[in-house]
Amino acid sequence: MTAETARQFEALEAQATRIMGVFTRAGHEAVAPAIIQPAGVFLDGIGEALRARTYVFTDQEGRELCLRPDLTVPTCRLHLERVADPATPAKYCYNGAAFRYQPADVNAAAHPREFRQAGIESIGCPDPIEAEAETLATMIAALEAASLARQALHLRFGDLALMRALLDAVDMPQRWRHRLQAQFWRPQAFRAELKRLTQDPAGLMKALPPRLVQELRAAAPGTGDAIVSAHLDAQNKETFGARSVREVTESILSVIEDSRSPPLAPSAKALIEAYVAINVPCQQAAPAVAALAKSANIDLAAPLAKFNARLDRFTAHGLDLNAATFSGEFGRSLEYYTGFVFEIGAPGQPLLSPVAGGGRYDGLMRLAGSPHDVPAVGAAIHTERLLAAIEARAK
Amino acid sequence: MSTDKLIFAVPSKGRLMEQTTEVLAKHGLTLRKTGNARGYRGAFDELPEIEVAFVSASEIASHIKSGAVHFGVTGEDLLREHIPDADAKVEFTSKLGFGHADVVIAVPDFWIDVATMADLDTMALPFRRHHGRSMRVATKYINITRRFFAANGVTDYRIVESLGATEGTPAAGTADLIVDITSTGATLKDNGLRILDDGVILRSQANLVVSNSAPWTSQTEALANQIRSRFLKS
Repeated sequence: MTAETARQFEALEAQATRIMGVFTRAGHEAVAPAIIQPAGVFLDGIGEALRARTYVFTDQEGRELCLRPDLTVPTCRLHLERVADPATPAKYCYNGAAFRYQPADVNAAAHPREFRQAGIESIGCPDPIEAEAETLATMIAALEAASLARQALHLRFGDLALMRALLDAVDMPQRWRHRLQAQFWRPQAFRAELKRLTQDPAGLMKALPPRLVQELRAAAPGTGDAIVSAHLDAQNKETFGARSVREVTESILSVIEDSRSPPLAPSAKALIEAYVAINVPCQQAAPAVAALAKSANIDLAAPLAKFNARLDRFTAHGLDLNAATFSGEFGRSLEYYTGFVFEIGAPGQPLLSPVAGGGRYDGLMRLAGSPHDVPAVGAAIHTERLLAAIEARAK
Repeated sequence: MSTDKLIFAVPSKGRLMEQTTEVLAKHGLTLRKTGNARGYRGAFDELPEIEVAFVSASEIASHIKSGAVHFGVTGEDLLREHIPDADAKVEFTSKLGFGHADVVIAVPDFWIDVATMADLDTMALPFRRHHGRSMRVATKYINITRRFFAANGVTDYRIVESLGATEGTPAAGTADLIVDITSTGATLKDNGLRILDDGVILRSQANLVVSNSAPWTSQTEALANQIRSRFLKS
């Protein structure tokens, strides 16, 4: 990587001052979370794509640590250290280095392994839609303060809660929903799972010992563990480790359960696939989803009303929605997002390198150590990319 | 070390060194140590211009990667673990027919609900619900494991590095499953483990390889072709 020039350093510093000014005026307290973080919360909570790109090391006492790959998790941890009740409302902002491994052949200018993130987090806000609108409006104001004209930006929205509502409305066993949700982050596995549930939900049973399956099918509720234990004893299979016989039994029973359920209707599969494929101007998103719902005879009125209410609130905050698109599959990159997600692109920058992005992450605080979920929304600017976009426009 | 010298790395000890010596001899390269008997330098009688370096097998992989040596004999498992883009950085000249070992993924045998990587992926979600964490995979093959899991769409796991007695970690409770090397499978069986049906990640053996990153000159290139021809014609 080439060394940063003094001129570039100063330009980044000046840009950060303007951005942080917007953040603090919007009521966010400036914080500087630790660069070195315990690895566990990142390794367990973040998608594998980012996990494999985190610099992990062991210190002299054998503790597993990492260089923070982003600042959202460190800010959550800082919040938990400060307050007794994690749900205590708080608004933070930061500007600091984040680190991600990049293979040698990646374009180092667009994807440096060491880069500065300037961002905001709103934790525990009682009005989620208001917090989302504020977050988006503040990010756009910050980009504008950094001299990227708001008319030039293109916005991309997604909504993981809408995806969840869709799965809830489609007729299928609850555990299939869980599985599809868990697979949503991985397009290939998601498609494979949809196909399996549509074509052959009983397929998994073929690998199990037929006699054991027979016994379990005939067993009275609650006697499964004993049957599986007896089977393991007879086969001389010793049990050890964290996973229990009960978990093995549950897993086999759910496979048997799958084989009893009717396959997922082809129309349901088509509906889910059609939703994932939606990519329209954001004001056409709700009508498009409503049309899908109507043709599949399911009710999504409540989540769609919420979706529209959010857009209205964005407009009330002075945001121009004409440059915004909605994508059904957007949100797949980071596993911790749970609801509304967005990305802001600058002209001339490749689609995969947005200058800013963020979203709702109600489950992350629990991964960071909170006893329960805490509503939270945040976003960050990739400051080097922003500077590059501004300099490219000035030329 | 002058740059027109061709350096050939050979495993420095044990069965691997003996078998390498035998195979090289079979292809008309008689290996002898130069200097004292415990020295780490050697030469070939037939091609005296080549400098032989005796190095540990895993170090050979990193020397091939950095280009510190031109030729080397070492296991494919070590090459693929140490060199992420091995097929670009390394020329796999010849499989040598010894040092056979499979890199495999093995789970406790009593997990009768888990026969394939797809089952492992299905298991990940309830596992997290029960234990509040992802499943732990003990291995010394961190990069190989990561690539294999990614290729199979399994993402909810965590690697714990294990530098010895990996097969004992599930029983000891420090990991839930392992990725390790096996030749007969007996050690896995003794530890109550079973290889997944689609769990053979790599069938490894000793390979003669050439480093694409080494400083090649027309002189060393010519020597390299002499070595290659001895292995390719047989």
